Amino acid sequence: MSRSSRAVVTMPKTAKKGEVFSIRAIVQHDMESGFRHTEQGVRVPRDIIRSFICTYNGNEVFKADLHSGVGSNPLFIFYAKADQSGTFEFKWQGDNNYLTIVNQAITVS
Amino acid sequence: MIKRQLAHLGVLCFVFVLAIPSYADQRQSTTALMTPSNQAMQKDINLNPALFWIMDGETLWGDRSNPAGKACVDCHQDVKQSMKGVAATFPKRVQGKLLNLEGQINQCRTSRQQAPAFAYESKPLLALSTLIAYQSRGLPIAASTDPAVEPDYKKGQSVYFQRIGQLNLSCAQCHDDRAGLKLASSTIPQGHPTAYPIYRIEWQGVGSLQRRLRNCVSAVRAEQYAYGSAELTALELYLMRRANGMQIESPGVRP
Repeated sequence: MSRSSRAVVTMPKTAKKGEVFSIRAIVQHDMESGFRHTEQGVRVPRDIIRSFICTYNGNEVFKADLHSGVGSNPLFIFYAKADQSGTFEFKWQGDNNYLTIVNQAITVS
Repeated sequence: MIKRQLAHLGVLCFVFVLAIPSYADQRQSTTALMTPSNQAMQKDINLNPALFWIMDGETLWGDRSNPAGKACVDCHQDVKQSMKGVAATFPKRVQGKLLNLEGQINQCRTSRQQAPAFAYESKPLLALSTLIAYQSRGLPIAASTDPAVEPDYKKGQSVYFQRIGQLNLSCAQCHDDRAGLKLASSTIPQGHPTAYPIYRIEWQGVGSLQRRLRNCVSAVRAEQYAYGSAELTALELYLMRRANGMQIESPGVRP
């Protein structure tokens, strides 16, 4: 995998204070498990995303550790509660210095 | 005399009215056999992992790094306008040769861009075919009715009904005669190519219709058809005409 890749986050741009809304975050990654071999018998080295962290104005709201069993292009769907206007940061980190960050602003009324 | 002709015409019309709807009603997209979560993943493009192939395809659409210095966009302009409904009409005869969508992309690539053809199932080829097929989502399949493709259609039909392999099975024996029954735990689909290229979770990626057809060929333990071979492309044509008028759902999501 390249050092970074495409990621798409789907969430509302505006919300009412106290409202619970869903966030969907999908990232492009081959998630090479490290258990596969080429036709010549050479092991394909592991290359996976290791962690996914979502922060809301700097506070962690969702975190996941990923392992070899997770399939390619992992998708997370989770919920957050609107508190105050600000930014959601989505950060995927992995093997070979892989890093993808997406920021999404939200206006809370 | 005229009265008799009219009577014949009447019988003919009656037969048509009787035959066409009953045929159409029995056809079912394989999407209907998917779990609700897979259906939702396919329907909502922001959940569909094939989205990344579409995005890669959009980048390639404007890529001028080839010997001719020409991007797809230079001739075809906006993909959303120019490629609408295009995937619904392939395979068809182009300069005397039956080409599927992938073949047409490579034909453009070698002649207009003067670049080497993309390998079958390579990421750039799948990215472009997924991008183009996505522009036909929701439109009906309009298979080629060009008289020049008749021999190809006949060939595709014979491939479909030909028993092959150690298991001595034809496509028709499963997908016509036993569609809706079980093969192990999964329901045998009718095999309409409405959602290709598909994101198959088992493949961990996007694959073409020919990859899926080759899966079946190896499953019946038959000698494999090559990618882009006349047999597979003719079979694609037969399947498209068999699914004529059904809605395109590309890119599909399959388990």
